[in-house]
Amino acid sequence: MGIFELIFTEYLLKFNVPLWLIFLLRQILYFIFAAAIMVIMVLFLVLFERKYLAFFTRRKGPDRVGLYGCLQTAADGIKILFKENILPKNADKFIYFTAPVIVFAPVMTVYLLIPFSQDVIPYSSNTGILLFLAILSLPVIGVIFAGYSSGNKYSLIGGIRSCIQAVSAEIPLFMVLAGIIILSNSMNLNDIVILQKDSVFNWNIFPSFLGFIIFFVCSLITLNRIPFDFPEAESELAEGYNCEYSGMKFAMFFLGEYALTFIFSAFTACLFLGGYNSPFGCYLSDFLNFPLITGEILKNLEQFFWLILKSFVLILITMWIRAAYPRFRTDKTLELCWYIFIPLALFNLMVICFIQYFRGML
Amino acid sequence: MNEALINTMQINIGPQHPSTHGVLRLKVDLRGETIVNIEPIIGYLHRGMEKKAETGNYLQYLPVVDRVDYLSGFFCSYAYINAVETLINVEIPLKAKYIRTMTMEMNRITSHLLWLGCYLLDLGATSPLFYTFIEREKLLNIFEDLTGARMMYNYYTFGGVKRDIPVSMLKNIKTFTEEFPKAVKEYEDLIANNPIFITRTQRTGILTKENALQYSITGANLRASGINKDLRKDSPYLVYKNLDFNVPVSQNSDSYARFTVRMEEMKESNKIIKQCADFLLSDEKDSEINTKINPVSIKPNGSVLSQVESTRGLIECYVEADGTNIPFRVKWRTPSFYAVQILNTIAKNQLLPDLMAVFGSLDIIMPEVDR
Amino acid sequence: MMYSFIKPLKELAKGLYIVLKNGFKSDVTLMYPEKKKILNDNFRGKIKYNKEKCIKCRLCQKVCPSKGTITIDKEFIIDFSQCIFCANCVENCPKGALQITKEYELASKNKKDLIFKEEIN
Repeated sequence: MGIFELIFTEYLLKFNVPLWLIFLLRQILYFIFAAAIMVIMVLFLVLFERKYLAFFTRRKGPDRVGLYGCLQTAADGIKILFKENILPKNADKFIYFTAPVIVFAPVMTVYLLIPFSQDVIPYSSNTGILLFLAILSLPVIGVIFAGYSSGNKYSLIGGIRSCIQAVSAEIPLFMVLAGIIILSNSMNLNDIVILQKDSVFNWNIFPSFLGFIIFFVCSLITLNRIPFDFPEAESELAEGYNCEYSGMKFAMFFLGEYALTFIFSAFTACLFLGGYNSPFGCYLSDFLNFPLITGEILKNLEQFFWLILKSFVLILITMWIRAAYPRFRTDKTLELCWYIFIPLALFNLMVICFIQYFRGML
Repeated sequence: MNEALINTMQINIGPQHPSTHGVLRLKVDLRGETIVNIEPIIGYLHRGMEKKAETGNYLQYLPVVDRVDYLSGFFCSYAYINAVETLINVEIPLKAKYIRTMTMEMNRITSHLLWLGCYLLDLGATSPLFYTFIEREKLLNIFEDLTGARMMYNYYTFGGVKRDIPVSMLKNIKTFTEEFPKAVKEYEDLIANNPIFITRTQRTGILTKENALQYSITGANLRASGINKDLRKDSPYLVYKNLDFNVPVSQNSDSYARFTVRMEEMKESNKIIKQCADFLLSDEKDSEINTKINPVSIKPNGSVLSQVESTRGLIECYVEADGTNIPFRVKWRTPSFYAVQILNTIAKNQLLPDLMAVFGSLDIIMPEVDR
Repeated sequence: MMYSFIKPLKELAKGLYIVLKNGFKSDVTLMYPEKKKILNDNFRGKIKYNKEKCIKCRLCQKVCPSKGTITIDKEFIIDFSQCIFCANCVENCPKGALQITKEYELASKNKKDLIFKEEIN
């Protein structure tokens, strides 16, 4: 139990609150925390991506709403809330309405799995990685639903493309994760992060650099980011699976996509870049003589900062790639996954097994 | 029902679609994502350009001609004006010839730059569009200062050009020609060897020599199929005889070949602009820029066909006159009209994403197809 | 063999580098309503009519490609919703009664604002 949980429990026990209620309240607080992080990150990322792409193309980006356009996303959000909800004539009504929820809800859940700092772990599961993979294959189902139920052929093609890319990209993803599990002898995300502490050289990126590259590219494929954005290829399918959605339902697809971007970056940071661990192996709060509790809180804050920074660097690279490359073709992506990434992932697994053997861990 | 169309899905691309460059409608039959049949349906942008000519005098039709192909207005303008000038037997001054050549080649660069940006946007790359527009903007600013408008120039007149180019503008143009090769180099570095771009374009949309000749494809599309035909070399008009330039030809006949040919063409156009600017700078200042004729009272007789090698290929303008001040008939032959027809032949049996890659590489522009 | 594997990666890295290099160059956009482009005298904007110079020769009507733009009756009317700004009328006016101006922001909520009228005697 982390320090925050201890303080929280102790405080509530003074008022004779029953333990089960404390547990429930704790989980609710964690959920609110995760949801807040998600909303803030999404609002920030949407604006940031526009500004960042403008930077690459020598423009200014949005700068009319608020100071330097900082309220642009909020303004867009309000606009999108008041948009008319359009139901296509030959839509499958029930599935059409559930699809955005199926895309959005799992993303919310996965936020609970991230170890944000050593004491803030909303849901510490011994099968964290498996849970992560299982939940993250759900949004694809929503996308297929959306594609099928819109009654639009572009949407249908988009949905099917999304399906085939999920099938092909997640296999190398799983194989890389198998390597990580072997490296750290655990499926608990917190354990994986703790094993990478003290030094940069303990990070998993060094034994499985190849795995890192594969994981990064495959996460791009799963996220439908350029250069792999063919499920919603604008110039071919005119926004693909979400082209019949409007208003809040479109916003859910849109927010889900950005929330997933952050999730994947945070997980890549946790699995390969040491998660919340400081790259210097020590924290600022170690050198300052604070009382125990203040020091611990500061340390947690620092760890939180490192996690956000690492995932942010990954997001920067994702968007940088978006600015530079044209779109892959669907069948070429499948070839990339099946002919190149799966053999490379197997090779990566082999290398990791050797490393673990010589370390005497296997 | 046609045997080949069993188990297919018909999908309607356009007339409102991000990558049809205007209002082309394509009825595409798909089996899975493989294209079985494409039926282009044109006519959504038909403005009656040919009939318009018969309703007013020769001068009244002149500003409208720029709108036949709004990305390279000078070429259409030249084709029409050249026809009328031939009918009334007017020889234009040498300086006007040089100015016309230079502006047309500048226009070729602007059109190719827009094509490059939009083509890469069709393929999913967003940044190159802005980079090409930066260079294009420089040329459009020069056009704006010279002619008064950015795209609808109305600059040529019967017997020459309307305004003289000031020396300061010529110097601007010269600095542009010196900087432009660097920009082209940057585009090539960015995209030409990019493996994603290569897999998308190489060995797709193969337009064989035979097909190209059968469908009377002209311009860069034809030269990318290995046939060295360029009106500027074959029967030089204006001052092309005096200029030193090459005609880029590629033997590969795929989308990538069309890309390389257009990139090379931009460099060659740049060379031509430089030579023209040098000539105009060395020329004496007060020489004539047009032969004075009254444009309202032109009453030619007879018929003439005028040709020009435009950005997209061979533009022909046929003018038949009957001795009044109103043209009897004006007929346009525009290259994109022929390029649309080839789509079914070269994009068949490929995937749906390739349709956009092939379509973009042909450089089709809809107002020119429908006129 | 090894080179054919590395070369695509090199080219991909080059693409990233060029995009980044461009990012550090100065912005090229103009913040439109605050800053406006400096226009040349040749710019073909809204057409200005000078009553004193006009001799009612109707040559402007004859050379106008968009018919119905210029009407000369008891009053001189230019309909800017139909005008294509080719400036043929300006160039062919024998007395210089028509002039081009640099005014190009003609957008209006009311179509009648686009019709210019002036009485002539």
